[in-house]
Amino acid sequence: MGYAGWLFLFAVLMAAGLLFTAVFFMIMFSDLESDYINPVDLCNKLNQFVLPEHTAHAFLTVLFLISGQFIAFLLNAPLLAFNVRKIMNQNHVYDATEIFRTLEPHKKEIFIKLGFYLLSFFYYLYRMILALVQESP
Amino acid sequence: MASPAQQLPPGWTAEWDATHQRYLFIETHTGHTQWEPPAAGPELSPQPSVSPPPSHHAKRRQYAAGQTQAYYGVGDSLAAVPQYSAAAPQPQPTQLFTPGLAADGQFQQQQQQPPPYYGGHAEPEYINAPQQPVYPVQPPSQMGVLADQFGQMTMGHKGLRLFTTNLLTSPPEPLELRQPPPEIFLPPNSCLSQSPYANADASYQRCTLNAIPTTNSLLNKSKIPLGLVLTPYRSLKEGEEEVPVVTDTVIARCRRCRTYINPYVQFIDGGNRWRCCMCSLSNEVPQLFDWDQVRNQPGDRWARAELNHGVVEFVAPTEYMVRPPQPAVYIFLIDVSHSAIQSGMVATATRTILENLDRIPDENGRTKVSIIAFDTSLYFFTLPSGGAESSMLVVSDIDDVFLPKPTDLLVNLQEARPALETLLGRLSDMFQDNHTVGSALGPALQAGFQMMAPIGGKIMVLTASLPSIGVGALKNREDPKVLGTPKESGLLQAASPFYKTFAIECSRAQVSVDMFLFSPGYQDVATLACLPHYTAGQTFFYPAFNASRTEDAIKFAHEFGKVLAMPIMLEAVMRVRASKNLRMSSFHGNFFVRSTDLLAMPAVPQDLSYAIEVQIEDTITAPFVVFQTAVLHTTCYGERRIRVVTTALPTTSNLSEVFASADQVAIATLLANKAVERSITHRLEDSRDALFNKMVEVLTAYKASMTAAGAGASAQLAISENLKMLPVLVLGLLKNVGIRQSAQIPPDLRAYAQALLTSLPSQILIPYVYPNFYSLHNMPPECGTVGEHGIIMPPPLPLTSERLERHGLYVIEDGQTIFLWIGRDAVPQLVMDVFNLPSYEVLRGGKTTLPVLDNPFSQRVTAIIQKTREMRRGVYYPHLYIVKEDGEPPLRLWALSCLIQDRADVLPSYQQFISQLKDKVSVNSMPSFAIFNWMFM
Repeated sequence: MGYAGWLFLFAVLMAAGLLFTAVFFMIMFSDLESDYINPVDLCNKLNQFVLPEHTAHAFLTVLFLISGQFIAFLLNAPLLAFNVRKIMNQNHVYDATEIFRTLEPHKKEIFIKLGFYLLSFFYYLYRMILALVQESP
Repeated sequence: MASPAQQLPPGWTAEWDATHQRYLFIETHTGHTQWEPPAAGPELSPQPSVSPPPSHHAKRRQYAAGQTQAYYGVGDSLAAVPQYSAAAPQPQPTQLFTPGLAADGQFQQQQQQPPPYYGGHAEPEYINAPQQPVYPVQPPSQMGVLADQFGQMTMGHKGLRLFTTNLLTSPPEPLELRQPPPEIFLPPNSCLSQSPYANADASYQRCTLNAIPTTNSLLNKSKIPLGLVLTPYRSLKEGEEEVPVVTDTVIARCRRCRTYINPYVQFIDGGNRWRCCMCSLSNEVPQLFDWDQVRNQPGDRWARAELNHGVVEFVAPTEYMVRPPQPAVYIFLIDVSHSAIQSGMVATATRTILENLDRIPDENGRTKVSIIAFDTSLYFFTLPSGGAESSMLVVSDIDDVFLPKPTDLLVNLQEARPALETLLGRLSDMFQDNHTVGSALGPALQAGFQMMAPIGGKIMVLTASLPSIGVGALKNREDPKVLGTPKESGLLQAASPFYKTFAIECSRAQVSVDMFLFSPGYQDVATLACLPHYTAGQTFFYPAFNASRTEDAIKFAHEFGKVLAMPIMLEAVMRVRASKNLRMSSFHGNFFVRSTDLLAMPAVPQDLSYAIEVQIEDTITAPFVVFQTAVLHTTCYGERRIRVVTTALPTTSNLSEVFASADQVAIATLLANKAVERSITHRLEDSRDALFNKMVEVLTAYKASMTAAGAGASAQLAISENLKMLPVLVLGLLKNVGIRQSAQIPPDLRAYAQALLTSLPSQILIPYVYPNFYSLHNMPPECGTVGEHGIIMPPPLPLTSERLERHGLYVIEDGQTIFLWIGRDAVPQLVMDVFNLPSYEVLRGGKTTLPVLDNPFSQRVTAIIQKTREMRRGVYYPHLYIVKEDGEPPLRLWALSCLIQDRADVLPSYQQFISQLKDKVSVNSMPSFAIFNWMFM
């Protein structure tokens, strides 16, 4: 298996991981809405995952760039830019005092991310298989 | 113009219609228009007020004839001056309250008229009761007729009638803001009790609509925001009725929705069960409900307070306690750095605490206090009980704050009283020579928190400098270049996350923080105000405080003293329940939202307002809906209680009733909250746009559905009579310091104004947005004297500088400041009488205290100022500024900025604003307008 195969295998695993985080966020938000968790605990819990999630995604994107997978890189670049901007503006963490006011936008964001990770999961899978097929004629 | 206006019966105006080349006749109070000149109808014919108002010269103070002319203006010119040059001539409205009232007969007639609200329970929301003509556009003689009409309405078809008015021809009328909200017409038999108090008074809880639309689409059609404005814990003035307390701990609640029993439930099954008014579940009546536990005999169910009163307090049994009721705890964090000592803040504060030790609520001797002083180190004071000497412990390690001693720091107020008194007497002297600059506010807060965390209570922070070291240190981020640009809203957000995370910790430990800020320079009010905001406290700001000016010292001592003496609620949570299909969607005010609908308030001060937006989720089928606010709290006397505020409102499927029931004061309060929130999350400009667009939307909706014009251009700008003041209130908001477009407002002042906008109850907020403007030199003779309802205030004038005469003396007040405006041609006698100075030239502008002089005019003026300071609830004690017409420009401009109907810089005058609205409304028949909808609401 060549490096492209390995790369996309890794990407598939990463995407799966990111997918799970997004699902986890969704579940936590709906817990908050139905009052199973209080906003302080929710924010403490979620904020632990925000930076690792962003870092993982950034790492993957950079990996695509240096390995010359430009299509995959371009697909991920917008989200990377979005994440970087959030961190620069220091509003990447969830604020317990504002969480109820901003719940709807947060949910929307997570939903879109979920969709994106799902699509990219299948794209990486396809590319991995493609790479494998091309290698073994 | 030789218009037929002069021959019209009162209540009518004529307007030249350019397209038809003839006069259009408009009946001003109904909005009815016709082409034929109206004949004086039978009910209008007896018209005493048409006769020229009686002359006041006989009653007026006797000055030399020439002076009197100058002093009072020529004749009764005031009444004759048209308020708007562009508007059609209005023969009658001004007659009513200025000179017309002076005739004794009419005056009494007005006082005797039946209060239209709550039967005999006339509790004026806006003081100045004698001047409360309920229908100011009506001449007094019509009162009887109108009252009859109202009587018929209540008996016959129940509901509100919609009166359309044209904003282009009817200028804003300040007295309208003092009217009670539109009456609530509940369907018959919906209430168990005949008591006038069965529905909570508007000062406790009011809704933006007093008839709830049955569907969300109907609400959207009206464009009026639906929300509740509440002040569950308000102070009571003398003579006001106390909130009844249910002491027998029999608390009947719905099993499913946990609603408390109230006057709107139904007893079924022979009185053994009751049906919940919100979810219709049938519940058992508790066994002891009909038992009088005091006398141990069967009691009368119908006499129970919770079935007769919209506002009640239950004494809560132990099920409502997580822990036993805690004592009230007050910790004072006093800044003793160089600037604080220099400004005299420390001396004034300690003296005020000392003087008010007796007023701190401590009925059962459990209240605890502590004092921590801080500059760049922390100074703790041990207050041994019984002893008179205190000792100081210095902690200079501010990175890891610890308490230097486990005991004697937080002490019982009564036991440690002697030591406390000595300490307070000496504190300011102890640090007299302190030259340390800098403030470790964050560590001091942490220390106070550690001390009280097991109990909870109140931290009062008094600081005069920007926190500079330790956690929560802030930088000076004031940058004049940013002001007026889109980046400005960044300065209104918290600069350091500490003040939010710490606030959450405080909220969990039931600790509330009050901020008193005194800085001469930038202090980052926006960030510091976060703490009170999320811990349900209050922020007070005294820019450039200097105790050597007695006015500053008096203002602070007065307000601080009132805060100390205030009986607060501790460990409170608030929840608002509403009938099926109504949902509380977002919350504004000082608290922490702990879960979807539970508001945590570690301590509730009196007279803070909260606004809650309400969503209609599905079609409401019930004939009326109920909103119930419950505040579970511990009183500062150690009793667990639940305060329940219940409001029932009818539902309607009729759009005109929705408009007719709209409460402009509540809408303005809600919009103020939303605008501030938007200015922080977005940009200031967005929040102004959103306000303007909301107003346009309402007007467009009204025009499309309620007037014949429908879509397309029209010569009118129609709105219902009860919403007539909404445009000017919105204009007032747009011109308020918190939101105004300007590149000169320091961020501290803006942040403080925003804190006020989101916490003031309607009674104080409305003057803050739409100030009161009185003319003193020619006020009617009874003004300033003691009348039936206290001191009689002069009639308010519209807020335009056209009303300023060069020889006049005026009061402009917005509840936070009072301006005494004196014209440049003021006669020496006037200056002598009021200020005890020989002439206008020697008079100095600025903060002042009026001398008490032995002449009736001075006494009347002083009485009016005094009344202005006292007539509202809340702790504020406004400064009095003398503003000379040719005095210092900043002060003059500040005073003039209160006259919001004038043009100021880029900000439009009222007429310009109305014509902007009108243009927008005519354009807005287009669908592209829908974009604004989802942007704001």
